[in-house]
Amino acid sequence: MADVPQNQGYLVGAYVVAAVVYLAYTISLWRRARKALRKEELPG
Amino acid sequence: MSNGELERAGRVVRRGGWITGAALAGVAGIYVMALAYTPVEVRQGPAQKIFYIHAPAAWAALLAFSLVGLASILYLWLEDPRLDRFAAASAEAGVAFCGVVLTTGPIWGKPIWGTWWTWDARLTLTLFLFFLFLGYLVLRQALPDPSERGRFSAVVGILGMLLVPFIHVSVYLFRTLHPQPILIKPSSPSLPPEMLRTLLVSFAVSTLLYVGFVTWRYGLTLALEAREHHARG
Repeated sequence: MADVPQNQGYLVGAYVVAAVVYLAYTISLWRRARKALRKEELPG
Repeated sequence: MSNGELERAGRVVRRGGWITGAALAGVAGIYVMALAYTPVEVRQGPAQKIFYIHAPAAWAALLAFSLVGLASILYLWLEDPRLDRFAAASAEAGVAFCGVVLTTGPIWGKPIWGTWWTWDARLTLTLFLFFLFLGYLVLRQALPDPSERGRFSAVVGILGMLLVPFIHVSVYLFRTLHPQPILIKPSSPSLPPEMLRTLLVSFAVSTLLYVGFVTWRYGLTLALEAREHHARG
């Protein structure tokens, strides 16, 4: 039987990249929503 | 604007936050499931497990862009601003998922194909779709009038949706390196049960994450509109 390829570095890299994209978008939503919902900074 | 409008937006934002939080915990669960409880594929090695985040992200991206198109058609017909808000939220979430697809795909491609990228039909069309919806988001920022913004971006959203079925069937229509569909195809899924279970759970988690992102983004739009109404008096 052929040896299983040892390429776990790519697996870890892909999982880290996916987590970074999802967390970055979540943080972006959280920051924008927090700013938009501030009552004390309402214009006018 | 009344405080009521802002409070309503706050409720939608909080709901989106909770759903997103639950879905992100689900993503962490998928990582554990894929790494600890799903067998390693003998020919591809551990890199095959990239598939458990890549394919569900592709599903969520194509779902998001298809719904942008459908909401846009309905918006042009009914002119209901809720449909325009939903389309904008779905497009932004779709771009995030498509970003995951376009980064994890090449990371899988390097050890399996021996190259990070190839100008194959599916990869190229997916890249075009990503750029098209980036353009959609930029267009929305550039148009201050809500009615004009809604109509123009709806047209772009519908054109983007037209690419989605081509991307799905591109592996049948063109010579390609990309693997054939294993779930959404005429015959039954071709995966061992342990792998199929992990994949189905990750599809469910991606769908939940999409719902969370869209709800949160929709609430954000409501809050921004409420502030705009207040500024205009």
